[in-house]
Amino acid sequence: MSAEIIVVTSGKGGVGKTTTSASLATGLAMSGKKVAVIDFDVGLRNLDLIMGCERRVVYDFVNVVNGEATIKQSLIKDKRYDNLYVLAASQTRDKDALTQEGVEKVLDDLSKEEFEYVICDSPAGIEKGAHLAMYFADHAVVVVNPEVSSVRDSDRILGLLASKTRRAERGDGAITQHLLLTRYNPARVEQGEMLSVKDVEEILGINVVGVIPESENVLAASNSGVPVILDENSLAGQAYRDTVARILGETRPMRFLDAPKKGFFQRVFGG
Amino acid sequence: MNAKMDASDACDLRFGQVGIACVRVRRPDAAALCEELERRVRAAPQLFSRAAVVLDLSHLINLPDDGIVDALLEAVRSAGMLPVGLAYGTSATEALAQRMGLPLIAKFRAAYEPADGGSIAPLTPSATPAAEPKPAPAPVREPVLAPSTGITGAQHHDGTVRSGQQIYARDRDLVVTGTIANAAEVIADGSIHIYGGLKGRAMAGAQGDVKARIFVSDFRAELVAIAGHYRVFEQIPKDLEGQSVQCWLEGDKLLIARL
Repeated sequence: MSAEIIVVTSGKGGVGKTTTSASLATGLAMSGKKVAVIDFDVGLRNLDLIMGCERRVVYDFVNVVNGEATIKQSLIKDKRYDNLYVLAASQTRDKDALTQEGVEKVLDDLSKEEFEYVICDSPAGIEKGAHLAMYFADHAVVVVNPEVSSVRDSDRILGLLASKTRRAERGDGAITQHLLLTRYNPARVEQGEMLSVKDVEEILGINVVGVIPESENVLAASNSGVPVILDENSLAGQAYRDTVARILGETRPMRFLDAPKKGFFQRVFGG
Repeated sequence: MNAKMDASDACDLRFGQVGIACVRVRRPDAAALCEELERRVRAAPQLFSRAAVVLDLSHLINLPDDGIVDALLEAVRSAGMLPVGLAYGTSATEALAQRMGLPLIAKFRAAYEPADGGSIAPLTPSATPAAEPKPAPAPVREPVLAPSTGITGAQHHDGTVRSGQQIYARDRDLVVTGTIANAAEVIADGSIHIYGGLKGRAMAGAQGDVKARIFVSDFRAELVAIAGHYRVFEQIPKDLEGQSVQCWLEGDKLLIARL
């Protein structure tokens, strides 16, 4: 039984790939799946910070690719879920340290360790790092912000996913593509400053699997090394839980698409 | 157009990984090299006879001139091995490889550029150099003691070592006057003295010197290692955090105490 490989990618930087990878991996682990999440951003590693395991990195992804450490030595077990593991990127190397054969071997090793899901956190861009992150994927989560530049970059990525992956090259059937809209601010959509869910779906021609509202909790969670999905009180956390459920096949209605109506006190006192 | 189509299936161009032995030259002495390699080939002919090898010159203090490199390559050949390229190296090695008409087997050239004019060898915490060439290095953490080349004096680094930077002082001590940021690495074959904060990693005795020590003015390290024995700090002990400390080895134990 081989692991389902999910790449989290976007093309554009700063849209929430790593935040999504961390929450998606944690969400799948919360559902009882055995999950590994790999940081492909060699040279600019961040996932370890978001997952809160930055002080436990001894060996990293590049060490495994180079055969300097085994996969078991390099996987960092999550503090909260013992079926969740992190494979950190190397900060002292660059993207050229990864090879296709090396990445394939790591993914095969993870399958042998009976992982059910492997989340590949892609670096921004469409160069080697991003290419290797998506190449072996079975599913893709394309993270997009409601703005034109992000949508165009996602369009490019969707094209690459359909052509530059192993599944595409072998003709094994297309990668399942999920579009995830993050940093969504319904108030600004109503003002016409941001693209709406419908706009984005129309431009890209696929439906969204989730909409994550813009939330202060995301930054706070990132800074404290807790994936935001664990914050039950935040709208973003709840939206990520819905998204994970949908990726696992559940049907759930979209929430948080409308701007909250201001109450009497907020109207009087501002807020 | 048609001709182009026909030619495209003439070959496949692929990158692959192969095990290849690396001959790390410790002194530019062709005769000695030949003698040593002949001994290896005799000892394990199946493994080494006609084995493809790359020549690693990064451990020599100065890059030898073309004539000596030619002699070294000839020494490898006459011992019964087949040199196929030069390993690692700086831009100077690259130029040399070009003059020799040999490929440079260098994945991460930038990592080997000397930081301050001194020469620097490939080293990561888990890829400590072994004393003899091996076709496929096993994931060993314990380094093998290498003969010292007898350099004295420490290597100095002024200012901050940024995240992702790696400073390596080969065959000597390292003195850093700034701070080592998170996910930055300082490595020395001798001891390490840090007159700023250590928030990243420090690895002393990288070639196996168990007497090497690490001194830090402001301790907040992620990892410290001496001669391959390491400690990771998920939590920095309260009594050490921000303090001046030294780290040393007692047997297999890596000890840390306030100064």
